[in-house]
Amino acid sequence: MDCNIQLPPRWVNAEALEDALRSAGPGPHGAVTTGFSFPIGCRVMIDAAVRLLSLCNQLDASTSRVRLDFEEGESGVMGYLSRMGFFDELSRNTEVMPSWPSISGAEVHAGSNPGLVEVARINHRARDQALPGRLTDAVVRACGRRRDAKDLGGAAFTVFAELIDNVFSHSETPLDGYAALQVYPKGDSLQVAVSDSGLGIMQTLRPAMKTQYPSLAHLSDTALLVEVFRQGLSRHGADRGCGLQGSAAKAIKYRADLDVRLPNTRVVLKPGKGGYQPATAHCHEHLPLIWGTHICFTFRLD
Amino acid sequence: MNETTERIKLRNFMDGSEGWGREQGRKVYPALLDFVEGRPGVMVFKVSLEGVKRIDISFASETIVELARRFRGNKGFCFVDLADADVAENWDAAASRKAQPLMSWSHGKARALGVSPSQGTLGAFEFALQRPRTRAAEFAAATQGMSIANASTKFKQLWEQGFLLRREDVAESGGVEYSYYRIG
Repeated sequence: MDCNIQLPPRWVNAEALEDALRSAGPGPHGAVTTGFSFPIGCRVMIDAAVRLLSLCNQLDASTSRVRLDFEEGESGVMGYLSRMGFFDELSRNTEVMPSWPSISGAEVHAGSNPGLVEVARINHRARDQALPGRLTDAVVRACGRRRDAKDLGGAAFTVFAELIDNVFSHSETPLDGYAALQVYPKGDSLQVAVSDSGLGIMQTLRPAMKTQYPSLAHLSDTALLVEVFRQGLSRHGADRGCGLQGSAAKAIKYRADLDVRLPNTRVVLKPGKGGYQPATAHCHEHLPLIWGTHICFTFRLD
Repeated sequence: MNETTERIKLRNFMDGSEGWGREQGRKVYPALLDFVEGRPGVMVFKVSLEGVKRIDISFASETIVELARRFRGNKGFCFVDLADADVAENWDAAASRKAQPLMSWSHGKARALGVSPSQGTLGAFEFALQRPRTRAAEFAAATQGMSIANASTKFKQLWEQGFLLRREDVAESGGVEYSYYRIG
């Protein structure tokens, strides 16, 4: 059975990607061939791009065929994805229409566009110690005119470092993870996204709940996820878990929205008084399967 | 007792100027531990962050915070040049998670990262910070309505919680008397 996913002819963020996945029925996992169509006018935001990249590589690893069809060719969204390095990380088994880019846009444009940085690979077998610093330097370069560029860089470093470290600690997958950022000058926002294809946070945390946090074991996945970022929960016990909590504490200063996609669930947290609160969380359940944990902070820079 | 202090330059134990993640922290920790254990006469280690550009909370948790927790009450660790507010926030978050106070000194003034003394012990803590070494009897004598026993209880709590260090001395009477030392 084939699965055809039609992306809309406008900006595609994580929300729009989910809408497109849902409209394609049971989802791509299990399909013989999965096709993604990018019509004229389609633009992909970084949060959706890294999730799409992880999903394509997951499908390829599970022996599904994957086809990406770019109606505008390299003059449209394909060129944009190429510049961010999407195709450098995409499995070479993927069929790309009209054809694979002849050269890597990321290599050609590296460092020349202050608003965009390449998608960076998180390789389990070779920890890139300079990765969070490189991504942070890109944030500071892109926001250099802002008075708070240094503080923003500090917050971005903590978020990147903790999320990337979390991928190493928890994801347990042979597939690479990805980290990416983009500054949207017109939207006055910065997106910081980290995506992995392993076990979701809940799969690693749930088994430890009865012993480590018995009073919270009854919570739903959504409520539990809020507590992971609010008070810091770790399968290793009470003196751990400060990484994601600390990331959220930094991001909340910039009134950042937090979007977390787990294998079948997506939770969007809006900043409220006192941080992220369960009452203001938007939860989407029974979503098409995407393995792993995909986290995106959207900082407001106005 | 002739106690000494020693400087720890954290950057010398790191591969680069940025420290992040538990894995890297756990690689740095044994070298820090060797350094401390190799100096048995040293009571206070003054941590310098010179050359350290950035650290995250997990790295902070696995290095100096873990060291301070391990030697709590016996040896103390304090920062002497922690100027970056963002970095200070990360040390604070890591220390808070382990309920381990960490002192940071600047221009002769100290502040506790991680946890703060309770209201009940704050006066005793501030008294101790003003002098390198003190005794319960001195605090009682300087504080109206404070008995030696009460002062002693407050200092003991501060020592147990990791805010002060303590050594056993022989009192003039021949009995045991404790001296309390600030960290820094």
